[in-house]
Amino acid sequence: MKRAIPVVVLSIAGLVPVWRYEPSAGGTTSTTESASTPSASASSGSSGTTSGTVVKGTTITTDKGPVQVQVIFSGDKITAVKMLQQPNHPQTTAAVPKLIAETLKAQSADIDTVSGATITSDAYKESLQAAIDAKG
Amino acid sequence: MHRVEHVMGFPVSLRVDDEGFDETGASAADAVFAWLREVDVRFSPFKADSEVSRYDRGELELAELSDELTEVLDLCEHYRAATGGAFDVRLPGRGLDPCAVVKGWSVQRAADLLRAAGARRFVLNAGGDVAASGGPWRVGVRHPVHADKLCTVLELTDGAVATSARYERGDHIIDGRTGRPATGLLSMTVVAASLTEADSVATAAFAMGAEGIGWAASLPGCEVFAVDGGGQVLRTEGFPVAEESSTAA
Repeated sequence: MKRAIPVVVLSIAGLVPVWRYEPSAGGTTSTTESASTPSASASSGSSGTTSGTVVKGTTITTDKGPVQVQVIFSGDKITAVKMLQQPNHPQTTAAVPKLIAETLKAQSADIDTVSGATITSDAYKESLQAAIDAKG
Repeated sequence: MHRVEHVMGFPVSLRVDDEGFDETGASAADAVFAWLREVDVRFSPFKADSEVSRYDRGELELAELSDELTEVLDLCEHYRAATGGAFDVRLPGRGLDPCAVVKGWSVQRAADLLRAAGARRFVLNAGGDVAASGGPWRVGVRHPVHADKLCTVLELTDGAVATSARYERGDHIIDGRTGRPATGLLSMTVVAASLTEADSVATAAFAMGAEGIGWAASLPGCEVFAVDGGGQVLRTEGFPVAEESSTAA
């Protein structure tokens, strides 16, 4: 769980601005505290999740209402982040994102083009896109 | 048809697969590159006589600006407000620099020119920002650490994808709230209907750092694939990951 906790913090930090939560000077700290003291509950808790541990975050009060995040772990990895409580506000309820956490992979594949920050000519010369362009 | 030219300081690659487009489409392709060169002349903050530079020096009033620059500056202001000031084209001590919005906006317009000229199946890639039509197109996303590898492959039929990162030009995206380089993310890729939106959102979210992931993911019509500072991927459920036909490296 050691490695996963910062991700929980990160996910919550990412989700909270949806409610235009305006943290005071200690805003980040309070988010961290809420995230690092989750009350773990058995996976039988909510929906019929296949496997993994379900961890509920502490409810955070924002100026739009209470926010609570649920994180599903498979081992040390987060497999899903879900909002359990969200302010009943039409602008925000429609916009709640569900984020999936994955491990960063390095792969090769047959592709048509490449998205990336390929801004300089030197970097372009060595890029996959240059190879694609050279192929014609 | 497949053409590559350097415009606005980066390579722009155009591929059109419509049959017969080679004969009839050459002038449309010419128009695309001519438009991008025009954008460079008019909106580059690095050219002293551009409209952006003249406005920044106070030689032009707001009311005297072209409709195009007014539209760009409105977009910049929209994203400044939406990110709580993290994305800001007017950083203290620096000149007006709307490049981040100009790039996506102008390349989207170029794609619109192609469509108006009858092109249906094409992909336009400007320095890693992609506008696609008539797919499916397989778009790889550059791995944030290994330049010759991809971190994901997505499938795009009609739409756009843009990536902001700091692996190439270093810490060049500034968080306007702190005035310091944004270092919370390694890479931020956004898929949207238009490149105007995809590129602006990718840059703005990158400037916000880790919280930019949730912000971008919450925007209707935006799908997100982000690599955070610790090398963890966070993506939206709807991000159009392509079917596996890749070889793990």
